[in-house]
Amino acid sequence: MTESRRQGALGLALVLPPLCLLFFLVVVPAVTAVVETLAPGPGGSAGLTVARYAEVLSAKVIRTDIAFSVVVTLISVAAVFVLGYPLALYLRFSPGRLASLLAVVFTIPLFVPVVIASFAMITFLVNHGLVSTVLYRLGIETFPPLVYNATGIVLTEVWASLPFAVLILGAGLQAIDDSLIDSARDVGAGRVRTFATIILPLNAIPTRITLTLLFISVFGSFTIPYLVGGNAPQMLGVTMTNYLTQYLRRTDAVTMAVLAFVIAAAVGVVYVASVSRRERDV
Amino acid sequence: MTAVQAAAGPPSPSWFWAIAGMRRALALGAFLALAAFILGPLLTLLVWAFAGAWLFPNLLPEFSLTWWSYVLGNADVVKAIRMSLLTAPVATAASAVICIPAAYAFARLEFPGRRLLLLSFLSANAFPKIGLYVSIATLFYRLDLMDTFAGVVLVQMINTLLFLIWIPTGTFRGINRTLEEAARDAGAGPLRTFFQITLPIALPGLIVAAMFAFLAAFDDAQGTLIVGTPNHITMPVMMYTLVLSYPQPVGAVFSVLLSLPSLAFLLLAQRYLRAGYLAAGYSL
Amino acid sequence: MGRSVRRRWIVMASVMIVAVCLVGFQGANPARAAGVVTLNLYIGGDTNIFDLWKKAFLPAFTKRYPQYKANMVELLHDNGSEGIYAKILAAKRTGRTVDVDLWETTPGFLDQGIAEGLWVKLSPKLVSNVTKVPAPTLEAVDYYGLPYRGSSVVIGYNSQFIKNPPQTFDDLVAWIKANPGKFTYCDPNTCGSGTAFVTAAIYRYTSAEKFAAKAYDTKDEAAWAPGWKLLKELQPAMYNNGFHPNGNVAVLQLLAQQNIWMASVWSDMGLDWYSRGQLPKTMRFIQITPPLMGDDSRVMVPAGSAHLEGALTLLNWLLTPEAQTMVIDVVAGYPGIDWKYMPESVRQKFIDVAKAFAPWPNPKYLADIKRLWHEQVVGG
Repeated sequence: MTESRRQGALGLALVLPPLCLLFFLVVVPAVTAVVETLAPGPGGSAGLTVARYAEVLSAKVIRTDIAFSVVVTLISVAAVFVLGYPLALYLRFSPGRLASLLAVVFTIPLFVPVVIASFAMITFLVNHGLVSTVLYRLGIETFPPLVYNATGIVLTEVWASLPFAVLILGAGLQAIDDSLIDSARDVGAGRVRTFATIILPLNAIPTRITLTLLFISVFGSFTIPYLVGGNAPQMLGVTMTNYLTQYLRRTDAVTMAVLAFVIAAAVGVVYVASVSRRERDV
Repeated sequence: MTAVQAAAGPPSPSWFWAIAGMRRALALGAFLALAAFILGPLLTLLVWAFAGAWLFPNLLPEFSLTWWSYVLGNADVVKAIRMSLLTAPVATAASAVICIPAAYAFARLEFPGRRLLLLSFLSANAFPKIGLYVSIATLFYRLDLMDTFAGVVLVQMINTLLFLIWIPTGTFRGINRTLEEAARDAGAGPLRTFFQITLPIALPGLIVAAMFAFLAAFDDAQGTLIVGTPNHITMPVMMYTLVLSYPQPVGAVFSVLLSLPSLAFLLLAQRYLRAGYLAAGYSL
Repeated sequence: MGRSVRRRWIVMASVMIVAVCLVGFQGANPARAAGVVTLNLYIGGDTNIFDLWKKAFLPAFTKRYPQYKANMVELLHDNGSEGIYAKILAAKRTGRTVDVDLWETTPGFLDQGIAEGLWVKLSPKLVSNVTKVPAPTLEAVDYYGLPYRGSSVVIGYNSQFIKNPPQTFDDLVAWIKANPGKFTYCDPNTCGSGTAFVTAAIYRYTSAEKFAAKAYDTKDEAAWAPGWKLLKELQPAMYNNGFHPNGNVAVLQLLAQQNIWMASVWSDMGLDWYSRGQLPKTMRFIQITPPLMGDDSRVMVPAGSAHLEGALTLLNWLLTPEAQTMVIDVVAGYPGIDWKYMPESVRQKFIDVAKAFAPWPNPKYLADIKRLWHEQVVGG
């Protein structure tokens, strides 16, 4: 009993410093913002109201933008995952020079700021950019629009996020004991079975962290959709900025920020719930 | 468990990835496709950086160095790069010092509200900052941190919290408790166990976390713009202006220049990351 | 294990050392030499405006008033302005002075700040040269922003492909429909040249003066409906099936790459790019009738400015013929002061262009135009 109390006190003491930082720099301002969106407008009665949320959500453009943000985010995360997992496996299990070289190449986007990444992607993929010029010289004159639309956002998000996924997944894969995988073969398990029954479950936590953080970072992105996206629909980051800076509707922007937070937080809750369920199972 | 062993050879279960005969072809194909996707945009940028003018449908531009002299005349850029390279490492280090012990507590200790508190760090990245500007600015004025080095570091630390809490928590959780318990049984104190057993095993994960934290701090534009202007301006604050405003070749020159420090960092970190992976693979 | 750990620390230490070497020691803080006051200017806009301040105004100003130095923060397309606004507002709320001595930004922030009491109200007592500015442009913003320069939007076209450019707005609309994919204007949220085309469509069916005046009533916005209908109709004929790039520069790039043949552009930027060889040699610029919008760009001084006296001195200097001539020479803009105060030689040269543009809507209507454009034209 005293041991567990001592542990509790120590645990709280250790998490206190970052928690303080979070509390004053994020939680307090965020709560202020939420209260602002719930306060009745001038002339309204006392108490809290969800009228602003109803008003914001009644605009078709905003609903479209929310749906668009979620869809683009899901597609980007799925694409990063489908490309990233095999890559991480390859780097983990395929030693040699090629793997080392590949490891350097795929890490590069991590170190390129997103502004530059977006700019580079545009010069590369835009009509009359490098790819289209090369195709034009080869006699292919019709070129699909790859930037300034959802395709452009997804391509750039994938480009920018791939190293993050590969590194986190890879760090997890490194921790899996070689002998476990070898013994799977010894009992006759094939490649797919080994992956499904040994590797995937053992790498579950890094996988979930990767998916959750990817979702949040893509969902909340501003620079990539602002530069590479089209005019409409837009991702929420861009819409909010427009409402704040261009349309003079600050409270609407803050209301959307709260909605965006709720969506991102829901993903976080799923993550934590799945991790703690797993802990109970063990 | 020794360095000699780590250097002795590749990990054994490469059968998992090997497909007899097709292995090389597949690897090469995948390599080329990925390299084209990742390097293509950057190479285009590099060519633009040396272009005088590049009008369609020419495959290559007229080469010229005029834009380089135009850019290198800008003293503000050098100053901003310096500021970035100073604030981001300090923010990362300060954040690591407070976050890694907290992550260990989240992974190993039982205390009330643990899951909720862990989840709450998500809000640092999940709450769009756009709703927080006025409140944050008000707070920094009250603390007299506006336009100070400490203020910029503090505001950049917000972005690092999630990476330095969540990833290390996962890393610590993934470490087999029996190793730590064995050390404790052999008479090592808790601190000694942490530094001699837990930390070395966790190090690759912690390095990866610190790297993401560094990049998150390094990339922060909005917070730094509010708190740092007018005298503590970092690279990302200038970036939009530098990359997008001038005629295209100038943006490309800036991009190449601004990527150089990062790429140097990449080469250094890369060696270390690979070494770290190998060590981790053998440690368990 | 000991050896590998040690090696790791060595690698890490060397990384740190290299980093420190790269950084060097931080330069000394901005000079606060005795008697010299550093003014902090925040300039939002496009590159040509940054150059106007950095290369023309500030060297001349600091030469004339050596007791001042200037430190300039550039905000491209007014990116990040919400942060600057937050900074000024927070300083006022906490009763501090703010390190923003002068801010050039969009009319929206000027308007929001008036309601919060953030700006210095200009008067001849504070800024004596303010009497040279035509009174209506000052009254439009209750004397809280100083219109120090103007410029107008024109039509840029590639004469290689277009022999007979449109002369009127209706001609232009007909040309766009007849040449699908060869025209666009930038997203009004990111630039004025796009806003100018959008307002031209709106003004086509209503009166420009009505929406430029100070009165604001959302009911009157019903008059914009035919304008939205026209713009919506034009969408399929725009570049890339209705794509509007971000910023004035992106439009110029589309012209440069010959992806489009015609666009609405700022006269000053178009000429600047053309003279630097960044546009095809066959580019030409014309004004149509009725003329597209022109813009009086305004600067504000926060009431909490830490260097109020210096900021007001700078404002006053901005309205001298010396500074106003630079507006014409450097960015091909129009002066903010009445033409009669300009030197005779300048007046003769620009006698034709004076005020050949339609008025800008008031900030509240402008904000609604941008939002409704998004809803009605590209979003619906």
